[in-house]
Amino acid sequence: MAGKKQKVKGTARARSENIWGWLFVLPTMIGLIVLNIYPIINTIKQSFFKTGDFGRGDIFVGVDNYVKVLSNSETWDALLATFKYAIIEVPFSIAISLVLAVLLNRKMRGRSAYRTIFFLPMVCAPAAVAMVWRWLFNSEFGLLNHILGAKIQWVSNPKIAIYAIAVIGVWSIIGYNMVLFISGLQEVPHDYYEAASIDGATGVRQFFSITIPLISPTIFFVCVTRIIGALQVFDLIFMVMDTGNPALQKTQSLVYLFYQSSFVERNMGYGSTIVVFLLVIIMIITVFQMIAQKKWVYYS
Amino acid sequence: MKLRKMMALSLAGAMAVSLGACGGGGGSESGGDGGSGGGDGSLSVMIWDTYQEPGLTEIIGDFTEETGIEAEIQVVTWDDYWTLLSAGAQGGSLPDVFWMHSNEAERYMSNDMLMDLTDKIAESDKIDISKYPEDITELYTYEDKNYAVPKDVDTIALWYNKTMFDEAGLEYPTADWTWDDLYEAAKALTKDGVYGFGCSATNNQAGYYNLIYDMGGYVINDDKTASGYDDPNTIKAMQYFEKMIQEGIMPSQETMSESAEDVLLGSGSLAMTTQGSWMLSAFKENEYIAENCDCVELPKDAASGKRVSIYNGLGWAASADTPNADEAWQLIEYLGSQEGQTKQAELGVTMSAYEGTSEAWTGSADFNLQAYLNMMDDMVIRPYSRETVTWENDCSEALKKGWTQEVSMEEACKNAAAAMNATLEEENAG
Repeated sequence: MAGKKQKVKGTARARSENIWGWLFVLPTMIGLIVLNIYPIINTIKQSFFKTGDFGRGDIFVGVDNYVKVLSNSETWDALLATFKYAIIEVPFSIAISLVLAVLLNRKMRGRSAYRTIFFLPMVCAPAAVAMVWRWLFNSEFGLLNHILGAKIQWVSNPKIAIYAIAVIGVWSIIGYNMVLFISGLQEVPHDYYEAASIDGATGVRQFFSITIPLISPTIFFVCVTRIIGALQVFDLIFMVMDTGNPALQKTQSLVYLFYQSSFVERNMGYGSTIVVFLLVIIMIITVFQMIAQKKWVYYS
Repeated sequence: MKLRKMMALSLAGAMAVSLGACGGGGGSESGGDGGSGGGDGSLSVMIWDTYQEPGLTEIIGDFTEETGIEAEIQVVTWDDYWTLLSAGAQGGSLPDVFWMHSNEAERYMSNDMLMDLTDKIAESDKIDISKYPEDITELYTYEDKNYAVPKDVDTIALWYNKTMFDEAGLEYPTADWTWDDLYEAAKALTKDGVYGFGCSATNNQAGYYNLIYDMGGYVINDDKTASGYDDPNTIKAMQYFEKMIQEGIMPSQETMSESAEDVLLGSGSLAMTTQGSWMLSAFKENEYIAENCDCVELPKDAASGKRVSIYNGLGWAASADTPNADEAWQLIEYLGSQEGQTKQAELGVTMSAYEGTSEAWTGSADFNLQAYLNMMDDMVIRPYSRETVTWENDCSEALKKGWTQEVSMEEACKNAAAAMNATLEEENAG
């Protein structure tokens, strides 16, 4: 009896483990399917429709929405702004937090206090963070201009607004990256550093020759997730900039544009098309990163 | 073996039950948020203006005392309001009673999201629809059916900083002012980091719309098929603002987008601005404005002699499929009745829509509020169509470029007209 079963599906035990395995991942899977996968499919479907009010009376329009999105200069402005944001946010936040992580990984007084301070921005609600920065950046009454004695329009000059926003982004994400790097650093065996100092390597040399290669998997992980995160920037722009802001057109990100079309102008089909466009871009970039990792990421 | 299996099974069972409980809890919670799940007689009311909340809570308190029906107000910001409301409409969980606005009304009415109040109004002895401004009733009428009872009216007036006028030795603005007088005064008041007058590219209803209609221009034509931004009179009106921008009498669009005109007025950086009556609650609470500022009727246009106020009014609407239909109607009836409307004015919440009840509002604060009532002599309803939000956004996007002088105001107006016409064409085709 048992032998017969084995031929078909392995032992009773393996089969039972199989069932239990599935049962235990089921809650997560249901969550993923209901909250992520189904909406993704629905969004892609919606991008081919001219959507009616309140989800009624959708009309199939083929690739009309895509033609409109891709031929609208607004989309390309938004894509450019999104890239500009990512180009500032990702490298700066990684570089700064990596240095901080190395400094805070040593034995020193008040280490946890410093770690807490740098992690604090992560705990604050993004809306609150944005409101404070909005005041700091205010051209009339802002603290920054008050100190500088200037009248720089940080967030309403189309040339610099996106960089000002990116500074907020860097500030708020440093703590999170830092914690990830610290955990990566703690995996690095101490012997390497000892051997290196005996060989006469300086701290800087150790950092580039030991630390970076050995935590490159962590750097890679942070890099991939941060680029995705940066390309999806929305809340900072939404909170800091008003609709009357002349810099908005050159600063709004793709997700902001999506919000504007989908939820303000209630054109769900057009909005869905924008996020599908963004999805494709993110996927392409991530694929390239996956290919490139073979060149610089060392898995021990 | 058997024991282990049993235990595992009971564990899994417990998990499933707790999951079920989670689902149940979540469900009832979202029902409470959306509001219509209740059925216990407590009404959910949704509004977007925090400043009106205390007054309305008081009025609803009186209503509860009179009828025994409980109701609770929930305030969300203007932007979130429409997101929440449309999600609620799509998911069938609208609040019982809520505000309607001309920008969005048609979308909700044409999709049967709102309760048809026609028969209820006809049977009611408290609501007489002829007592409300016709334009406002019209906003909430679709295919001859009424979907909301008018709540309030709002008009526009000119706010000015008395102290600055005193210091400059100028006479205060009067009801006889023309827009040219305003320009001269604004020019004289612009100095030492103070701007004479402010009106941003997004301030349509309280700002440039008024001057457009004074000068004989228009924003949308009567059958809502074409934009009036390319009308020569409209362009002439907009060039009035262009001149102020060029001469530095007006703060730059950049500045006004970071600190709106009311903020600049309240911080002593702006001498004059036009503001809607709905701003009163905020101005009352601002110490600087209460001490230094006052309001007066808008200026006239010298050539046409016209002094138009754009006006608008909200409506109280109910969800079409609320289980508390009767209670919801009673609340709306109370809020729209002469009694409720008078209270609303007395408490200084807003001017009221019901004929003759707004007089009480003028005494609700220490400003020359009579100006707002006087502005009711010549009113034009805030331009609207089904897709108001879309073309309003496009227009302010185009006009912003005029404000920043990236293009001339004339060109900005023409761009606005083109964008608006495209939207209107699509609207009328579909």
